Amino acid sequence: MHHVIVGNGVCGMEAALALRRKDGEARITLVSDEHDHFYSRTALMYVFAGQMRLQDTEPYDRGLYERLRFERVRERVAELAAQGKSLRFEGGRTIGYDRLLLAVGSRARPAPWPGAAGPGLHYFVTLRDLEGLDHEAKAGRRAVVVGGGLIGVEVAEILLARGLEVTFVVRENWYFPLALDEREALMVAEHLRAHGVDVRLGVNVEEVRRGPDGALAGVRLGDAPRTQAALAAGAAEVPCDLLVCAIGVVPNTGFLATSGLRLAKGGAIEVDDALRAAPDVWAAGDCANVTWADGSRRPEQLWYTARDQGRVAAASMLGDGATYRRGTWYNSAKFFDLEYTTAGWVPVRLDWDNTPLDPGPDVSDWFQRSPGRFDSQRIICSGGMNPPSLIKQGGLSGPPRPPLAADRVIGFNMLGGRWNHEVLLDWIDSRRSLGFVLDRLAEAQFDEELSPRWRRQPGSPPT
Amino acid sequence: MQAGLMDTYQRPLQKRGAVAWIFCAALVAFYLLIYYTDAFEGPARRLGLGDKWTLYGVLYTLAMVAGGIYFLRRHGNSRYQRIRTITVVAVQVVLAFALPIVMKVLGRQEYYFSYFWPLKIEYFYPSVILQQPFLIVIYSFLGSLVAFPLVGYFLGKRFYCSWICGCGGLANTAGDPFRHLSDKSAGAWRFEKASIYTVLGIAVITTVIVGLNWAVGRQHAAFSSFAFGVQRWYGLVVGGFFSGVLGVGLYPLMGTRVWCRFACPMAAVLGLVQKFGRFRITVKKDMCIACGNCSTYCEMGIDVRAYAMANEHVKRAACVGCGMCAHVCPRGVLKLEVKPDRFKGGTPIRVYAVDL
Ligand SMILES: Cc1cc2nc3c(=O)[nH]c(=O)nc-3n(C[C@H](O)[C@H](O)[C@H](O)COP(=O)(O)OP(=O)(O)OC[C@H]3O[C@@H](n4cnc5c(N)ncnc54)[C@H](O)[C@@H]3O)c2cc1C
Ligand code: SF4
Repeated sequence: MHHVIVGNGVCGMEAALALRRKDGEARITLVSDEHDHFYSRTALMYVFAGQMRLQDTEPYDRGLYERLRFERVRERVAELAAQGKSLRFEGGRTIGYDRLLLAVGSRARPAPWPGAAGPGLHYFVTLRDLEGLDHEAKAGRRAVVVGGGLIGVEVAEILLARGLEVTFVVRENWYFPLALDEREALMVAEHLRAHGVDVRLGVNVEEVRRGPDGALAGVRLGDAPRTQAALAAGAAEVPCDLLVCAIGVVPNTGFLATSGLRLAKGGAIEVDDALRAAPDVWAAGDCANVTWADGSRRPEQLWYTARDQGRVAAASMLGDGATYRRGTWYNSAKFFDLEYTTAGWVPVRLDWDNTPLDPGPDVSDWFQRSPGRFDSQRIICSGGMNPPSLIKQGGLSGPPRPPLAADRVIGFNMLGGRWNHEVLLDWIDSRRSLGFVLDRLAEAQFDEELSPRWRRQPGSPPT
Repeated sequence: MQAGLMDTYQRPLQKRGAVAWIFCAALVAFYLLIYYTDAFEGPARRLGLGDKWTLYGVLYTLAMVAGGIYFLRRHGNSRYQRIRTITVVAVQVVLAFALPIVMKVLGRQEYYFSYFWPLKIEYFYPSVILQQPFLIVIYSFLGSLVAFPLVGYFLGKRFYCSWICGCGGLANTAGDPFRHLSDKSAGAWRFEKASIYTVLGIAVITTVIVGLNWAVGRQHAAFSSFAFGVQRWYGLVVGGFFSGVLGVGLYPLMGTRVWCRFACPMAAVLGLVQKFGRFRITVKKDMCIACGNCSTYCEMGIDVRAYAMANEHVKRAACVGCGMCAHVCPRGVLKLEVKPDRFKGGTPIRVYAVDL
């Protein structure tokens, strides 16, 4: 049996390991056009910053491929012929497979602005992106980073640390509305500004300006729809030497156009619950369209889900009848020095076009910010059925959940400190009340030893 | 990003560049001269410091104080690191530097209250015991045989290696820029296990031989000269060469804890206690993004990431509990904790349902 895995990222590697664990004999081939070894994409920023070398981000020793007899092909797949069970590489060579796993991940969403293409435009998703940015990011240069998500803030941080002047452009009225509410986002923006980032909220890039030789000159900003932060003159020119576009990622599935596989609207590969895309073809990780806990279907662009999906796909490829089903959502991130943990259902309060979203009458939240510090806790409660606003992210309504008693905690958004999501999820999944949770919240703290114990601030909202 | 760690791998001194080799050579030369020659006796006397060992104590303490300030500027945003660093520097200044000098000035036998057998092997040599006041002998024996195993069991070996000991203190202050240079390979781990317990064995045997010699040496001249040879050899090779020349000299090439990791007999004992004790690094389930910061900055060469990725709490004899893995982790995955093993820590979450 020849298993071919396209993609040497976390999903592909974890699938290969799971396959080898169960089948010592199978022939396993890993294809990647990016790097000879599995490295952690999540650590790109630390490599840029010189905090680690690339090889320090590789989770397994380099002898792994030989030891486990993983064959490697370092080429780009140009075409999949699912009927003939073969792949064609860009170099023209083809290889056949018995079972194929597509773990091709994402690529950066291309910059849509007039004049964007050309020198000075950067992304931050792959090793090539890293090299390009590393080469051009010289202290004293001016950079514009566009995109109010997690990658944008990482890029802003490392460019600033290297001594560039950074303007951070966000289309929404506040930073990262997919996860933060206005109060939290203002706190993050305040933190970024305190570090010296020029944060511009509620503005769009209208055009990228280039000199006569094509060199990057700057960007012209304009008001985003329904902006709250109207630009003084209606538009503004920001001169820059570098432009980093971090407006999201899209599935790396361009080469599948002729494959006959079903692709969702955004390009993700449609799969069933066993992550099967077609007979003898599986897809997993960032590139697969999967069912979320709320019933919606979209890709999950996360490290741990890519890993889990890779393992489930491997089991499924071996005919083990495995299915992928997502549990309650959680994640963590870091905005400069601010650590962020989220668990459960946190309603989105602002749409991409700055339309306010109403979480519904039966959703409320409890919020406190420690005075004078970048530290806040938000606990979301609901007394109703699965409120539709909570699943706005997917644009689809999920299956009904059992009714909740009033004041049941359904989500947490914690900024500043460290929190144990296992405990938070346990409270959500066992439908605890706000009072119960607030009495015990310190038990979920995960800060370093000797850190102050969490307390309710005087004057925090009643339960 | 972690404040202070920017560009670590871009500085020649911190990536085994030419200056690192030169610095290493200079450190080794300094240690060879001060340990095995009288080259520093003159300067010491000119500075009014009595002998070369006092000069060495002054330099060592200064390095720790300056290094401590440097460390706090890099990592002082963590309360754990603040309190730990201030403590270990204070112990050095008071117990390992000032107090012995005061004792000497008062005409007493100097004594280092922060060092114990088997690290300070002579504290179990009968000749040394006999020179000490009774209370200090009690202190030394209770410390080595009762307090250390007990406290190590409950708090982990860090209570000594990262909060009290001067060797660890220098590593965690002046040595901080070199912590990432520790060898993370599986081979280094195998070597470590072989070497550190060998040194512990040699330390115990040396103590026994020296003790026997005190009891029966007068009757057996041959044994006596053998015992004297063993004692001298241990002092020169383990006490001097390993802990000083290599232990500090190799900072710029192999990281800060070469002595602590591969040779210190005290660390060996405490490591065994810790392995069966209550200290661990708790790993938050399925939150690790495999970035590798924790492993990179582990001065003991522990591949912390491997544990974090496997959702396994870290219980390793080597861990000195410096806390830097937890400090540099960008996703708050790790926490140094004292927890009885029974503790299961929250209900395990099921991220997905696999019918395997
Ligand atoms: C800067 C950055 C920071 C991130 N931080 C976090 C974080 O903190 N937490 C988190 O949960 N997630 C984070 N993510 C997202 C996370 O990295 C991804 O979800 C995860 O890497 C997806 O893994 P994957 O194996 O599905 O895809 P990938 O890691 O993208 O791997 C896909 C591989 O397939 C190769 N490939 C694609 N097409 C072809 C082809 N045609 N031929 C040959 N090879 C091909 C690619 O070159 C790539 O090597 C971050 C992502 C980025 C870019
Ligand atoms: S435990 Fe933290 S520092 Fe270590 S690899 Fe995981 S995320 Fe990175």
